[in-house]
Amino acid sequence: MWCRQLLPLLALLSPALAGVQELWWNVTYVQNANPDGLFERRVIGVNGTWPPPPIEVSTNDSLLVHVTNNIDQLATLHHHGMYFNSTSWMDGAMGVSQCGIPPGQTFDYVVPINTSGQVGTYWAHGHSNGIYVDGLRAPLLLHSPNETYGADYDAEFTISMSDWYHQEQPALSKAFINIANPGGAEPIPNSALVYFSQNGSYLPPIPGSSPSPVTSAVGFNENATLPFEPGKTYRLRIINLGAFAGFYFWIDGHDMRIIEADGTDIQEQPVDMLSVSVAQRYSVLVTARNDTSSNWAIHANMDTTMFDKVPSNINPNVTSSITYSTSSNLTILSPVSSYTTTNDSALVPIDIEPAIPPTNTIQLAFNFQTMNDGTNHAYINDVVYNPPVVPAIMSALSLGENATSQVAYGPYSFVINYGDVIDLVVQNGDTGKHPFHLHGYKMQIMNRATQYNSSDPSLNPPLIEGQANPMRRDTVAITGGGSVTLRFVANNPGAWIFHCHVEWHLESGLAVQFITAPLLIQEQAQGRVPAFMFEQCSAIGVPTSGNAAGHASATDLSGLPLGPWFQELGWLAKGIWAMAGCVLTTVIGILTVVWYSAMGGTISEEEIEEQVLQRIEAKKRKGKFFGLLKKKT
Amino acid sequence: MTAQNLFSVSIFFIVFRETLEAVVIVSVLLGLVEQIVHGDIDHFPTLTEHYRPVSAHHNDSETTTPGEGESDATLKRRLIRKLRMQVFAGAGVGLFVSFALGAAFIAVWFTKASNLWSKAENLWEGIFELIASLMIFVMGVTMLKLDRAKAKWRVKLQHAFSDHRVDRRTRTGKWVLFILPMITVLREGIEAVVFVGGVALGQPAKSIPIAAIVGLICGLVCGFFIYQFASRSTLTIFLIVMTNLILLIGAGLFSKAIWSFQENAFNNLLGVDVDDAGGDGPGSYDVRGNVWHLDCCNPETDMPWGIFNAVLGWTNSATQGSVLSYVFYWVMVIVVLVYMKFKEGRTKLFGWESAAGTRRRLAGEKQAEEAVDERVSHSSPMSSTQSPPQ
Repeated sequence: MWCRQLLPLLALLSPALAGVQELWWNVTYVQNANPDGLFERRVIGVNGTWPPPPIEVSTNDSLLVHVTNNIDQLATLHHHGMYFNSTSWMDGAMGVSQCGIPPGQTFDYVVPINTSGQVGTYWAHGHSNGIYVDGLRAPLLLHSPNETYGADYDAEFTISMSDWYHQEQPALSKAFINIANPGGAEPIPNSALVYFSQNGSYLPPIPGSSPSPVTSAVGFNENATLPFEPGKTYRLRIINLGAFAGFYFWIDGHDMRIIEADGTDIQEQPVDMLSVSVAQRYSVLVTARNDTSSNWAIHANMDTTMFDKVPSNINPNVTSSITYSTSSNLTILSPVSSYTTTNDSALVPIDIEPAIPPTNTIQLAFNFQTMNDGTNHAYINDVVYNPPVVPAIMSALSLGENATSQVAYGPYSFVINYGDVIDLVVQNGDTGKHPFHLHGYKMQIMNRATQYNSSDPSLNPPLIEGQANPMRRDTVAITGGGSVTLRFVANNPGAWIFHCHVEWHLESGLAVQFITAPLLIQEQAQGRVPAFMFEQCSAIGVPTSGNAAGHASATDLSGLPLGPWFQELGWLAKGIWAMAGCVLTTVIGILTVVWYSAMGGTISEEEIEEQVLQRIEAKKRKGKFFGLLKKKT
Repeated sequence: MTAQNLFSVSIFFIVFRETLEAVVIVSVLLGLVEQIVHGDIDHFPTLTEHYRPVSAHHNDSETTTPGEGESDATLKRRLIRKLRMQVFAGAGVGLFVSFALGAAFIAVWFTKASNLWSKAENLWEGIFELIASLMIFVMGVTMLKLDRAKAKWRVKLQHAFSDHRVDRRTRTGKWVLFILPMITVLREGIEAVVFVGGVALGQPAKSIPIAAIVGLICGLVCGFFIYQFASRSTLTIFLIVMTNLILLIGAGLFSKAIWSFQENAFNNLLGVDVDDAGGDGPGSYDVRGNVWHLDCCNPETDMPWGIFNAVLGWTNSATQGSVLSYVFYWVMVIVVLVYMKFKEGRTKLFGWESAAGTRRRLAGEKQAEEAVDERVSHSSPMSSTQSPPQ
């Protein structure tokens, strides 16, 4: 027992002078949370509070998070954007790097920040069955003692933005993947949330406001404010922690200069407005005004173009504020005429990494379709992602020689070799904008097309090789009908999932996985894979070895959950038989009509007369039933 | 529902059929008028004596005194014309009233009910298609007996006149040739109106008048030809063809009714009309219970397929319900026709004979015996002389 707690500590302490920041996170339900002031609901928080506290770590230190599951469903914690070099079992993606923490058990996540070379704005969130939508998410900030732009700002704040639902995610998911939703309309958020933090704690609400008790320590939306002092420059870290909606962000009366995107420091880029898709982060420098005569509005508007419809009773636009003086009034400028999309391909990283010519190009064409069970699903290269029986990392660890067989991981998998330079050409067949995220790496944005199948070079430009310093980040938005070419060097052995970060789309199958250097995974795992990972799988009855379906074979995938499949239209066997049956009965019916009328003798006129007379007599005997109509028959 | 903008096939057939029946009956009555006047005494003993006094006493303006001034033939011709006009008048009044009722009904229907209808379109369509298909079933099956109409009506008429001998004889007797056609045409007309109302639901209002008028004209023309030229066998062939067409439409309507109910349930599940989503691809129909789905040939959007839909109930997206109901309808037709033929005594079922059948057989045997006896009695003198001499 002691060994289990000590081992990770020892692992982290090897860089002798580095500290370890240890966190104990009890994942719990928090009842009656009402952050938007519109609806009380149950959320998933940490240690009885919600929102979970921001994690702020120095880049000299490592992070050790003990996550104990005190809710009634499986939980994981994914530190979004962290490399976890060679230790992908710490990545926290259910079905890929672990089975999910069973209720009551604890998973110790070792995040080797000090050896990763990473710095900047990240976040941590649940990555099992969509629990992060119900609230398990928090900013994760890596502070360097020598920040690139450290001399340019005096203080910093973190701005968390997200869409917000009033129903719990499992119910929303059930209604989404449903035969009653063949068009795949995503659940529409009920409101949006914006809240601020600094130095590891959330900023309180504006004095004088009366927020809901459970979350009263945190200011949300119009109750949230950033205290600015004139003449100072601030770094604002902006994170979209939502499930579905992108945000447009701008500040009235203030300019912004982007200095970081997804943990990549970049050359200063002034912008008027930021577009932030789900899971993306930006840092901007904002210089405060010189006077305190007015407070100024901060705008965070949800991008509602992907909403199936925008009900009239929801407000997708959040207005928070910057407070210079509590006695000043708030200036809200008139609405902007149009939204602008941030062109992140044009950003230039400070640390230069030239593009290396690719060794493999993988085309990933995705779209959505109503499948043969009537529900709407996503597919990449005609395959719908379903989590395998055995998490991919465990397959890689247990298959021995067969671990290099791509088939063994399921049809949504790619095995890549160490040192390969991979180009992912991701083609969006849908009309919506999808933010795709690759675990374990940052990707270089090599090329973008507005229409991926166009022959017009202005809409579908050719890829330019030899780029000296393309922008790199871990979450890239792909516009409707467009494509993006993302390049990365496969220098991180592990099982890494690549998926759309819209939670609903991930659940409907918009994902593939990359297994980098499976044999190296096996080598480097010696003595480093925690035993509790396998114990937790066994505790929920999931096999811990074998291929994706749990068999010790490279090709036997029987029992692997797959599908649903494309519909087959047209004349199938059952249709042809049915039509034949209809035609047959019709023909027999027609022949019967002929047989009745024209065959078997006719009734002569005398017979008819007799019959009619008989009927009349019978009616007379019965009496005057319809006194009005029959006079005296 | 269908994309026939100007001509509704089902309405054409319905109006045609109803007109045909009405015309046949009226033409039968017209024929009987001749028989009455030309003194078909055996069939109409009281009728002839009834009409002769009337023509003498009540038509002062005509001043026809039987006797030297006018020939008997002219008198008869005038009488025939007068009685015929009564029949036409009766038919005309019936037609007018049923049209008036029909127009009022349809006007109210299309204004008030179309609001209800648009909220639960498929449900209303389904209900009316169901009613229409059931009525067509009855109509189609009874249509096959139309060839016996003449004899049937003659007997009815005779009976109607013979009974009025005792009371209120003059008034009712005089107008019976007016009332009967009026009632008949009225009944047929109202049937047509209800049918048209049911089937018209969902069809653009423009498609109804032309189809109805054409159906009316065709019915009149065909009825006239039947009256003039039809021998019993031509009539039978004609009726067989008409009945088959009508039953095809009926089966199609029944299938469409069930299909509409299922579509309605699916729309309720989705919360939105699935046609609005557009297209015939995946997601435009319910996969549960679907038997075939073609990404084309949708009767709701393609005109030619709309005609198939109207006549045969074609759909590009068939369900188990719609297929089974189509088959079931024809099976019921077969069962009913077999039963009817059995009841009439014209066929045996597994060796069983109905009461009527027994009667006919015995009557037939008796006739055969009598015929043999006659032949024997005619030839008996010869045979007796041929008996071997003692």
